[in-house]
This record gives sequence, C-alpha cells and structure tokens, in this order.
Amino acid sequence: MKIKQLILHVFIIQCLALIVTGCNIPQNQTSKDYMVLLKATNPTPRTVASDSKGEELITDIEKNIEAHKDLYDVAVIKGKKHILVVYKVKHLQRFHMKKIEKEVNEKLEKEYPDENFIVSSDYKIFLEAVRLEEKMKDTNFSEEKADQEFERIIKLKKELT
Amino acid sequence: MGNKKQKKTPEQQQYEQLQQKHETKRPIFKNCLKAFFVGGFICTIGQAISYFYIYFFNFTEQTAGNPTVATMIFLAMLMTGFGFYDRIGQFAGAGSAVPITGFGNAVISAAIEHRTEGFVLGVGGNMFKLAGSVILFGVFAAFVVALIKTLLIMWGVI
Repeated sequence: MKIKQLILHVFIIQCLALIVTGCNIPQNQTSKDYMVLLKATNPTPRTVASDSKGEELITDIEKNIEAHKDLYDVAVIKGKKHILVVYKVKHLQRFHMKKIEKEVNEKLEKEYPDENFIVSSDYKIFLEAVRLEEKMKDTNFSEEKADQEFERIIKLKKELT
Repeated sequence: MGNKKQKKTPEQQQYEQLQQKHETKRPIFKNCLKAFFVGGFICTIGQAISYFYIYFFNFTEQTAGNPTVATMIFLAMLMTGFGFYDRIGQFAGAGSAVPITGFGNAVISAAIEHRTEGFVLGVGGNMFKLAGSVILFGVFAAFVVALIKTLLIMWGVI
C-alpha cells in the first residue's frame, strides 16, 4: 500500500512539474504568441511579398472584418496567391461559427472579387498567423521563408483529421 | 402500483412507515453541486490539454480532440489502477462518470475486478463488459446521426 501511495505521489509531482515547466516561455517564442489563446492581441496585417498596394488592401480588409459584431481579434496575411483571414469569435457566438464563417466569406467575395480568400476561426491557425507575423518583423526573415511558412499554415487549415 | 399498496398487510404498512422514518435522505442538491464542479474541473483539464496540443504540436482546434481524448482516458486509467479515481467517483458520482474519463475507469475497473479469473476469460472477456455497450451504442448513434445529416444535405435542408 505504501509503495502504491509513493508511486501515486511521484506521479502527481511529475505531472505538476510538467505543468510548471510547460509554463516557461521557450526561447524561440515571444510572450505575445504565448497569450494568443487567452486574450486579444490585435496583430498587424502583413504581406509576404512587400508591396504598398497590398498593404493598403489588407488593412482595409482587417477594418472591414473587425466591423462584424460577433468577432474580435482579426489577423490578415497576404500571400502570393491567397489572403489568409483569421479571427476569433465571441464566446457566446461560438454556436454560430459556421454561419459567421459563411457571412465573412460572402462579404469578402462580394467586396474584393479579384482576391482568393482563406477564412478560418481556428485558434491554431490564428496562433500560427501571429507567429508568422512576429517572425516577419525580423528583417533577416526572408520572403521565401515567409512564403513557405504561409503555405504550411494553408495546408494545416485544410487538414481535417 | 396502487393495487400493490392495497394488498399490503397492516404489519407491512407499519414496517414501511418505520423504514421510511429511518431512511437516510439523499442530499440531491449537494450531490448535483459536487458532480457539477468535479465534472467541470475534469473538463477544464481536458481543455488545458487540448490547448497544450494546439500550442506545441501541429494540431488544429478540429484535430486536437483525438489526442486530448486519448490522454484523458489514459490518465483516468492510470488513476483507476492506483485506486485514486474510485475516491473521486465516490465523492462526485456522475461528475466523474459522465466525462470521457469515466469510460477509462469502466474499462480498467472491470479488468481489475476479474483479474483472478485469468487473463483470457477474466481480464479479456470482462474488460469491455460496461464499456462495450458504450462503444456499441456510441457507434450506432453516430451512424444514425450521420445518416440523418447525409439525407438532410441531399434534400438541401442544411
């Protein structure tokens, strides 16, 4: 019985230690991306390829989407072919996620018919978009790498299982 | 029910009254509260594990469900083996049985109970005694719901 209790105590302590060490911020992550799932971060819209026209467009898209009453925290990243639009849905509106996604898609397609949009409300996609946005702040982070990362996020979004 | 009561002899009725007098009343409200908080706590742990998979691995909100469920069941199985989950079960009742951890508990407790009957007929044969019905009716319910959804999509309702 004592051995069982000892094993149980060791197990609980290990679990607690894992949780505590898991709360440390790894060196390659910033404090901002750490808080993404817990609070609003309002990331700046970015373009993978630097062009001023594209930047104007994505700022406009962000303002447009943020005007939706059921959403908050919008991230917009423009790639070479697609524009990724990720947002968080207000907690009590999460039952209507599909309806909101449809509304956002329709609105974007109506107002910007020439662009290809990928719309998502998934936390993971939002987190990855914020991570990419943070990386793109660094001047050493090349356009090619940013594009690769962007494509990886798109692939992740399409994954179902 | 009414006929049965009429047929009772005066002694039986007297005994029934006596029994009702001494019966301990179940604190239903208190039990509900315990179940609510413990069940909620288990779900909070599940949510934290789900966020853990989203943060550190390539799981999206949609795909993080599978490893989360597996982890929760695994933890419940370990805790059942150590005899800790039984105590939670005694304290919280449905609060510990309704979340997915209750499934892990049902599998392992049946395996432990029948261990003395041998590995094949005892553990193997009885492990899914309770969990088997969960799997069977779960799969059947999923099939029926999927069938209804497919028909509704075909008819253009949704």
